[in-house]
Amino acid sequence: MTEYAVRIIQLSYTYPDGTRALEKIDLDVPCGERIAIVGPSGAGKSTLLLHLNGVLQGTGSIKILNQKLEQSGLREVRRQVGLLFQDPNDQLFCPTVYEDVAFGPLNLTVPADEIQRRVDKALSDAGLNKSIRSRSSHHLSLGERRRVSLAAVLAMEPAILGMDEPTSNLDPRNRHHLIEVISGLKATLIIATHDLELVLDVCPRTVLMDQGKIWADGETRKMLADSRLMDAHGLEVPLSLKLGFKSK
Amino acid sequence: MRHNFIDRYAALDSPLHILEPRTKLLAFTALIVGVLSIPATNGFLFFIYAFAIAIMMGFSQVPLNYIVGRALLLLPFILLASLAAPWKGYLGFGVLFVRAILCLILLILLTNTTRFAELLRGMRKLGCPQILAMNLSFLYRYLFVLTEEAMRMKQARDCRRTASAPFKEELKLLSSMLGTLLIRSFERAERMHSAMLSRGYSGDFPVISPRKFSWHDLAFLSVVTLFIVSTFCFTNR
Repeated sequence: MTEYAVRIIQLSYTYPDGTRALEKIDLDVPCGERIAIVGPSGAGKSTLLLHLNGVLQGTGSIKILNQKLEQSGLREVRRQVGLLFQDPNDQLFCPTVYEDVAFGPLNLTVPADEIQRRVDKALSDAGLNKSIRSRSSHHLSLGERRRVSLAAVLAMEPAILGMDEPTSNLDPRNRHHLIEVISGLKATLIIATHDLELVLDVCPRTVLMDQGKIWADGETRKMLADSRLMDAHGLEVPLSLKLGFKSK
Repeated sequence: MRHNFIDRYAALDSPLHILEPRTKLLAFTALIVGVLSIPATNGFLFFIYAFAIAIMMGFSQVPLNYIVGRALLLLPFILLASLAAPWKGYLGFGVLFVRAILCLILLILLTNTTRFAELLRGMRKLGCPQILAMNLSFLYRYLFVLTEEAMRMKQARDCRRTASAPFKEELKLLSSMLGTLLIRSFERAERMHSAMLSRGYSGDFPVISPRKFSWHDLAFLSVVTLFIVSTFCFTNR
């Protein structure tokens, strides 16, 4: 029997202002899988991610690691599901990097010596040097901030990791570095992105969302090469696939 | 973009820097109270205090020109405040001015020998309400984000206009820019809250403190106490 990290059944969500953001979403993600959620801006990708740990709560049902997501179990769910936000300035709210990375574990009441170890490990897993610990987030470059955000999420040792546009606005070097870091992660990954080359590199399976609905769900290479499908939803076939650069 | 940080030299490693934040908060508050309670006619005590503060400045390794520069920046406000006490004549003006300058230098020393994060931790440990410390922490963190946003907005405005508009129009533009900033901050606060919830925030902001209370702190506190007590005895003789 397959173990599912995430099982979403008939999830719908309407924002308080009346915008219909998600409509009857069904999605299963087996443990250890890496899936991409692609789609035009405003498709509902970020909204879907925010449902994974109950920050937003729509109608329908969500199971995380076979546990139904409910108000009473939010604490446990937030330990298991880490979310990487698009703007690191939203995610890094402490005066120093160390405090930001330690914030999650401290909330989980992890013992002090364990926190030290977790912070160090998270920083190194995110490809950062230890010397960054005492610096302030507003002194860092965007690439560094993005990686510190990732470290802050990794420090909670989540089984499932949702990322919102992890590579946006990064220069090529930082982007490559981040993709390497992401490829090395062991958690179940759900990546919402426009960066289709990243999807080709990291995710074997892709889900296509548009206007709050899922339009396609399947093997990445097949889907991204389907020019009619891509055009219909405001995307385009990645250049490397068009030119046949990427072979398995 | 470059900013002028209030705790620019806080990362140094001087005898003042290595003290526990609580020690410094207590000692500096006591010294400020001391400065404020010097009798106006006692010029000698002012001199003694100035001397003590100069010694601390020397120990702190914070560059003198930085301290002077910072103090100069706030000089207009001090002058204005001092001028507001005309009923006491020249003496009243002078005393108020010297007091303000001494307190200001103490504050500059405090913020430049203690990282802001540690200062907040010290405040928390001394019983400052969490909500206040948390808000100050966010203020420190997001001041720069907000400044940058405002600067970008100003640049965008300047790029799209050729001459300055009539005063009324300018005012209108300014108010709409401020409104936009407010709404953006509000939205950011919502996203931040989501980020905090996602990392297990449940209403309690945890504190971690790398510095421990040591014999340095004890020594410093004793010296400051002794100093203040002896100056008090001196005035009340």
